[in-house]
Amino acid sequence: MEVIIEKNEDITTVKFIGRLDTPASQEVAKTLMPLERDANGTFILDCEELEYISSSGLRIFLSLRKAAAVKGGNVIVRNINNSIRNVFLMTGFLNLFEIE
Amino acid sequence: MKKDLSLKKTALRRELWTGMLLLVVAALTLEATSLIQYYFAQKSITEIASKRAEDNLENAKVDILNILNQVETAINNDIWMVRACIPIRDTIWKVAEHIVKENPAIVGSTVAFVPGYYKDRPLFSPYSFKNTETGEITHKSLAYEEYDYPTKQWFTEGLTHEDGFWSEPYLDVGGGDIMMTTFSMPVRDYEGTIAAVVTADISLGWLKSIFDDVIIYPESFSMLFSREGKIMISPVETLVMHNTIQEVSKQFKDTAAMKDFTEAVLSGKSGNLKVHGGKSFSNVYFAPIERTGWSMSIVIPNDQIMGDIRKHNRMVWLFQFVGLLMLLLILLAAHRNQKKYKKLSENEERMEQDLVIAREIQMSMIPKTFPPFPERKDIDLAAKIVPAKEVGGDLYDYFIKDEHLYFCIGDVSGKGVPASLVMAMTRSLFRAVSVHEKSPRHIVNAMNESLTDMNEQNFFVTFFCGVLDLSNGHLRYCNAGHNTPIILTDTVKKLPIVSNLPLGIIPDFDYQEQDTNIIYDDAMFLYTDGVTEAENVDHRLYGEKRMEDILHIRRSPQDHLKAVYDSVDVFVGEAPQSDDLTMLFIHFTNEALKNPSQWRLTLRNDIGQIDRLTEFIEMIAQKINLDPELAMSINLALEEAVTNVISYAYPEGTEGEIKVDAIVRKDSLRFTISDFGQEFDPTATPEVDTSLALEDRPIGGLGIHLVRKIMDRVSYKRQDDMNILTLTKTIREDNGSNN
Repeated sequence: MEVIIEKNEDITTVKFIGRLDTPASQEVAKTLMPLERDANGTFILDCEELEYISSSGLRIFLSLRKAAAVKGGNVIVRNINNSIRNVFLMTGFLNLFEIE
Repeated sequence: MKKDLSLKKTALRRELWTGMLLLVVAALTLEATSLIQYYFAQKSITEIASKRAEDNLENAKVDILNILNQVETAINNDIWMVRACIPIRDTIWKVAEHIVKENPAIVGSTVAFVPGYYKDRPLFSPYSFKNTETGEITHKSLAYEEYDYPTKQWFTEGLTHEDGFWSEPYLDVGGGDIMMTTFSMPVRDYEGTIAAVVTADISLGWLKSIFDDVIIYPESFSMLFSREGKIMISPVETLVMHNTIQEVSKQFKDTAAMKDFTEAVLSGKSGNLKVHGGKSFSNVYFAPIERTGWSMSIVIPNDQIMGDIRKHNRMVWLFQFVGLLMLLLILLAAHRNQKKYKKLSENEERMEQDLVIAREIQMSMIPKTFPPFPERKDIDLAAKIVPAKEVGGDLYDYFIKDEHLYFCIGDVSGKGVPASLVMAMTRSLFRAVSVHEKSPRHIVNAMNESLTDMNEQNFFVTFFCGVLDLSNGHLRYCNAGHNTPIILTDTVKKLPIVSNLPLGIIPDFDYQEQDTNIIYDDAMFLYTDGVTEAENVDHRLYGEKRMEDILHIRRSPQDHLKAVYDSVDVFVGEAPQSDDLTMLFIHFTNEALKNPSQWRLTLRNDIGQIDRLTEFIEMIAQKINLDPELAMSINLALEEAVTNVISYAYPEGTEGEIKVDAIVRKDSLRFTISDFGQEFDPTATPEVDTSLALEDRPIGGLGIHLVRKIMDRVSYKRQDDMNILTLTKTIREDNGSNN
């Protein structure tokens, strides 16, 4: 699992590459924790190369989304594949995120 | 000195008499077992006979209806033609001729008109019939006073039976003594009024050949009766068509049975009854042919049914006699040996010699050639018995019959000579009872019944009996208070058992049977408490733990027994053997029962192990060609369920194991996740409300939610200190073949 964070003014792009399963989520959560501190900008979660997500991965997404909501920021999820879209559907995440 | 000698002689003679007495007891025991055997054999052979009789009756009925149907169909097909010809009276002649000409089975036909249908001809019935040899067709009119067709059964019944009527059989007048019957049915004109009856005469010569084929036993025979009881088929030819069942049944002594039989025949019942006569009786099976009102019967003299079994029983008796004769010879030989040794040695020595012989006799009762079935590739076994004294009360036995391996192990309470006699009895009973029984429960019930009856010494026998279907690995077993056998699959564990009661304690006790399926490379280890309760000099017991540890390493059956025995031997050291020790190891090697669609993964309680779970699911997905999206969903559900166990079942810092078993069936995938952690039921957690707004959504709880969403069935149980979570996913039946 690899995460690439790119900051461009107040737009932060987080690119996920690989499988965001339980062990990977533990690492990724640590990496993304600092972003929540000043979550007043726009986050783009680029999932083009995200193959798989488990509930622990979803927790990271939801946690960031909540932080952004409090601080007046925005989270956009981009390029999710069919399997992940299905997971989003099962968990009601389609209604919580702006999906592109 | 002289007195001493005569005393010894008396002692010797007394022993010979004791031996003789034992021989008589043995003879009585053998007799009892063969009686039991005879009873069961008789029961099953009667059932077979009745099944055969019923099948034969059914077949004969099908054959008969087949022929009669052809005639009915032919007439039905020609009805339209008769109707069309009614307005032009003279063409009716042609119709009758046509029916006879076109249907080989029909030898005569008429169209007999209702009296007065044609105003100018009160009676009109043109009749055509053919010479069966030359095929030449002759015509004549049946409308003449002496014959008076409107009074004939074929006419009166034909008028009222819309779908046709088969007349009573009759003998062909003038055409030899051929049995005939007539099929008749009404014909309506275009106004819908019944105008006439059309008939077909057929010969019933073929009936005899149908019943000639029904020979179940050399002296069984068949009979056929008409609706009114007329004898149509009988082994006594002179009765045929001349007498009725009512007349014949009067000549039998067993009037009650014959009355029932006559009534059953005339009212068209099916069933069976016994008719006594002379020393024996006959079994009579009967069934009706509803269409014609006929009734078929098969009579089987009981002696015929029992013939084979009696022959068999005589053989058994012969063998028993030979066996007893041999025992007698052994006894005499022993007696002679004793005499010889007597002169040379002390009393004790003679006793020992006695016991050595007894041991030889006892050991010769138990199968001891290993491997026992060298020609078979599907089963291997080994057994070992080590009596604590010269003779013992332990036993084991096995044999293969009808592709089933019957096996048992047992331990008679007490040891030495008394126990050894009960052991011999138990083993003989097992053989005698299991000849006719496939159910361990029935075997054990019957053995318990006999042992309880004979039990005046208050002995008991712990006993385990199994019947393994070698073709499919289905194992049925029944435990009578014996040590729990060990089953070696990919783990080593106790076979789940209901302990029931030892044999010989309570008569009528109904033993509970259990079953399981074993597959290729599974094995079973049976033992008596001589293994686990072997004592060393400090009076410590060998125990189950040591035994199970040895079984963890897979060896051949022989090597297994040697390994366990050596380990017991080392443990016991210098201490004397306290109890008989017996072991039986069965290795199932039927390659056809390799289960390719069953997998197991064992994980530690470490999140890092999730990667292995992913590989495991991917491996299964690949093996069964699972759709990648479905595989991913399943992977997700499993990951969530296993993560739950890793996080909650074992307290922080403790090590634990999690087993994931996958079973793939044609239409479903089933995963069982089990762990020995603290009780935790994930299905008891509340449902997540996915419709809540962002600020109300809790962060957690999604894992089990996904498991529920993805899987079709999720169930949890706590059993034997284990959490067992079962996840089932239905997959399309054609899955795999399409991908």
